[in-house]
Amino acid sequence: MSAIVSVENVVKEYPLGKLKVRALDGVTLSFGEGEFAAIAAPSGAGKTTLLNLIGCVDVPTSGVVRIDGQATSELDDAGLTRLRLHKLGFIFQSFNLIAVLDVYQNVEFPLLLQGGMTKKERDRRVREIVEQVGLDKQMRHRPNELSGGQRQRVAIARALVTRPRIVLADEPTANLDSATGQNIIGLMKEINRKNRTTFIFSTHDPMVMSQAERVIRMADGRIVGEERRAAEGAA
Amino acid sequence: MESLRILLLMAFRSLGGHKIKGLIVGSLLAFGTFLFVLGTTLLESVERAMEASITRSITGHIQLVSARAVDRLTFFGPEASSDQDIGVLPDFSRVREVASKIPGVAAVVPMGRYYGQPILNTELDEAIEALEEAFAEGDPAVIEDRIGKVRRMAARLKEDYLRAAALAADDEEHEKAIAALDRVTSEEFWTSLRHAPEEGLQFLAFEIAKLSDDESMLYLPFIGTDLHRYAESFVHFEMVEGEMPPPGTRGILISQAAYDQFFKNRPARVLDLLHEAKTLDGRRIADDAALQDLVSRLKEMTAQVTMHLSPRAATELDAKLRERFPKVEGDLDARLAAFFEVDDENFAERYEFFQKEVVPHIPLYRVPVGGTFTLRSMTKSGYPKAVNVRLWGTFRFKSLERSELASAYSLIDLASFRDLLGLMTAEKRRELDSIREEVEVSEIDPNDVEAFLFGEAPVIEEGGEADLDLDARLAALDRPTDEDSDTFDPAEIEKGTILHAAVVLHDPGKLREVMARLQEAFDREGLEVKPLAWSEVTGIIGQLVVVLRAVLYVLIGIIFVVALVIINNSMVMATMDRIGEIGTMRAIGARRGFVLALFLLETLVLGFFASALGALAASALLALLGQTGIHTHQPFLIFLFGGTALYPAIDLANVVWSFAVIVVISVISTFYPARLAARVPPVVAMQGKE
Repeated sequence: MSAIVSVENVVKEYPLGKLKVRALDGVTLSFGEGEFAAIAAPSGAGKTTLLNLIGCVDVPTSGVVRIDGQATSELDDAGLTRLRLHKLGFIFQSFNLIAVLDVYQNVEFPLLLQGGMTKKERDRRVREIVEQVGLDKQMRHRPNELSGGQRQRVAIARALVTRPRIVLADEPTANLDSATGQNIIGLMKEINRKNRTTFIFSTHDPMVMSQAERVIRMADGRIVGEERRAAEGAA
Repeated sequence: MESLRILLLMAFRSLGGHKIKGLIVGSLLAFGTFLFVLGTTLLESVERAMEASITRSITGHIQLVSARAVDRLTFFGPEASSDQDIGVLPDFSRVREVASKIPGVAAVVPMGRYYGQPILNTELDEAIEALEEAFAEGDPAVIEDRIGKVRRMAARLKEDYLRAAALAADDEEHEKAIAALDRVTSEEFWTSLRHAPEEGLQFLAFEIAKLSDDESMLYLPFIGTDLHRYAESFVHFEMVEGEMPPPGTRGILISQAAYDQFFKNRPARVLDLLHEAKTLDGRRIADDAALQDLVSRLKEMTAQVTMHLSPRAATELDAKLRERFPKVEGDLDARLAAFFEVDDENFAERYEFFQKEVVPHIPLYRVPVGGTFTLRSMTKSGYPKAVNVRLWGTFRFKSLERSELASAYSLIDLASFRDLLGLMTAEKRRELDSIREEVEVSEIDPNDVEAFLFGEAPVIEEGGEADLDLDARLAALDRPTDEDSDTFDPAEIEKGTILHAAVVLHDPGKLREVMARLQEAFDREGLEVKPLAWSEVTGIIGQLVVVLRAVLYVLIGIIFVVALVIINNSMVMATMDRIGEIGTMRAIGARRGFVLALFLLETLVLGFFASALGALAASALLALLGQTGIHTHQPFLIFLFGGTALYPAIDLANVVWSFAVIVVISVISTFYPARLAARVPPVVAMQGKE
C-alpha cells in the first residue's frame, strides 16, 4: 500500500501573545490509499492541527507534509488551493454548508470551481452522489430546511463529488445524535469500500473509533499509540 | 461562464439573505441615481434653453473682441454695468469678410454695448407744449381743454410746493416758485392768456415748466448695431409696435419690457403689474405684502391720471366714479383714490374699467412710438454727450417677453451709438485735428486716436494746461445731432469703429469647432481678434449653470460618499458574519479571486438594480415633465427656461453616466471589504463556526 499522505517529523507552533504554543511536536505518520483511519484524542491534543496540515489549509512550522507525493510547504496559496480542490474532500464538524445555496447547488459548487466539465456531465455526477447519500428528494432544499444528519449527508456528497483521493472529516458526528452519527459513519465507510477513497477523521467518540480500521491516539501534540484492526464486515 | 453563473446566483442569494442591508444601501443608490439623472437632465435642459435664450436674442453664439481687450466683454451682471475696457475691433469689414468665409457662420453682426440716460419731457412740459399747439391751431374747444389741463397741473404743483415750504426752511428760490405758481393759478392769468397768449405761454414755458421735476434717473442699456442685420440674424427678434428705421436712418428700438417699465404711465403700469401677478402668477393681494405695497402706492398716483385728463374726460370719469362711490367726499382725485383701492374681489372688474374708461384719455407712454427723445451719456473720455433719437418702435424676443434679462438691452443705430460713446466720425475727426493743432499736440498716430480720446496717451499729459481747454472744446462737440445727420451711409458706417461683433451659427453644436477655425483664420490674416463663446460673455448668467452644476454634484457627491461609507461598513460587517462561509469556500477550493469577485458582484448586482430603479423613476418623472412642461411666470426662470415652460428631454448619456458612476462607487466601496474577505484563511472553516 503506497502512502498517499505522509507526515514527517512535523512541528506546528502557534503564536499566543508573546509565547509560542507548540500544537504538534514532531509527528511522523503516513496513510495508504483506501484507508479508513481515525485520529482519536482529547480536545487540545493537536488532532485538528494535524488535520489542517493534511488538509492543506495550513502549513507546518517544520517538517514535511506530502499529499500524493507533493510537499505542501513548497506551495503558495494558489497551489494549496488547487491541491485542496482536486485531491481533497472536507467534511466539517458543523457541516459548513453554504446557506444561500440549495442541496444540489452546494454539491455542484466544487465541480464549478474545478471547471472543465460539461453541464450534463456535472449534473450526472451531482445527481449520482446525492442519490448515493439518499437526499434525492431534498435536492432543492436549502440547508436550513434539513435536519443535522441530512446536512452532514450533503457535506459528504459535496466532499465526494470531485472524486478526491482523500476525505478529511473533523469530528463528523460531534453535532449529531448517536444513531445519526452511526448512520453517517456507515455511509462514509460504505463509500470508502466502494471507491477506495482514503478517509481520515478525528473523533473522541468510542463508537466512531470502533468503526475505524486504524486508530491513531494523540496527546500533547504527539502520537502516543496506534491500533489496527480488520475492517468490520471486511472480507 | 459557469462560475459566473454560480457567482451571480450566490450574489443574488446573499442579497436575498440580507434584505435590510440591501434595502438601505439599495435605496441610497437608487436615490443617488434618481437625483443624478434628474438633476443632470434638468440642468442640461436649462443649459440648452438658456443658450437658446441668450444666443438667439443678444449675444449670438460667439462674440468677436479685440485680442488686446483688457477686460472680458460681459453682457450681464455687475461687470456689465461697470466701465469695461474691451478695446475695439481692428477693421471690422475685414473681420466680417474673414469670419463669413468660415463654414457654419450664418451672420456677423457689429455691436457695442453701452448705456445712456433718456431725458424725458416732464408731464407739465408736454401739457404746455400741447397748449401752444392748440393756440397755433386756434380751435377754442381744444384750447379750453388744454388750459384746463395745465391749470390742473399748476394747481397740483403749487400744492406740492406749499407742502414742501411747510417742511423746509424758507429760501428765495422757493418763494419765487410759489409766487410764479400763484400767478398761474389765478383767474386773471388765464383771462389775459386767452386774449394775448404770447406772453402767458412764454411765462409758462420758461418760469413754470422748469418747476416740475418728475424725471426719474433711469439708465437705458443699449446695443449699438446694424439694426437690420440684427433683426435678420437673431431669430427671436420681433417688432411689437412701430417699424424698423429705414436703412441708414438714425433711431432707437426699445424692448417692450423696458418701454413698459420705464416709459409707461405709472398708475397704468402698476395696474398691469398687479394684473400680471394675479392672472399669471396666481398671487393674491390679501396675502402678498409686495402687492399690498403696490396698491398703497397706486392710491398716491391719482394725479398722474387726472392731470392728463381733458376737462371733458375728467367730468365724464368723475360722473362714473360718483355712481360707484356716492359717499366719497372731495374731488375726482379722492374718488379715483377710492377706485384705486383694489382688492382680490374687485380687481379684475376695475382693471377692465381702467383700460376702457381711463387709458384712452391719457398718454400711455412718456415717449410715444414715432416720438423723439434725448439720450444722454458720458463718453469714454468722460464728458457728457446728448443725442436726439427717434423711437421707431418696440421689439421683443419671442417667448422671452417677461424676462427682464432678455429685454435689458435696447437697440440703437451705429451712428448714434458712436456719438454717444464719443467715437470718431469723419467730421469730428477733422474738428479734433484742428483742436489738436491749437493745443500743439503733434504727431498723433491714427492708431492712437482711441487712446487719445480715452485719455490714456502720454501726449495728453504733456499738454498740461491745454488739457482743460481741450476738455472744454470736446464738450462743445456735445450737442444733439441736427436734422442733416439723421441719416448715414450704411455701407460706410461699418468702416468706422466697431467694439465687438456677434457671430450667429447655423449649428450651435459646432461652436468649439467654429471658434477654433475663426481663431486660426484671424491669426492667419494678422487680425488681432479673439472669439469668445456666448457662455464666456454672459457674466453671472453664464456662470449660473456652472454654479448649479457644482451644487448638484456636491449634493450627489454627498449622497454617494454616504452610500460609499454605508456600503463599505455593511460589507465589512457581512464579511465578519460570513467568515465561516468564506473559509469553507476557500477550504473546498475557491481561490481568493473567487471570493473577491463574489463580494464585488454582490454590490454590483445591488447597484445595478438600485440604479436601474432610480434611473427608471427619474426617466418616468422626466418623461412626464417633458409632456406637461415645468411652467413658470418668474421672469428670471423664463430666461433660464427660454420661455414660460421648460420641457426636459431625457439624455441617454446621463442614464449611462449614472450607471457608470454607480459601478465605480460600488467597486470602490466594496473593494476593501472584498479584499478583507479574500484574506480569510481556509483554516477558519475548521474552527467549528457556521
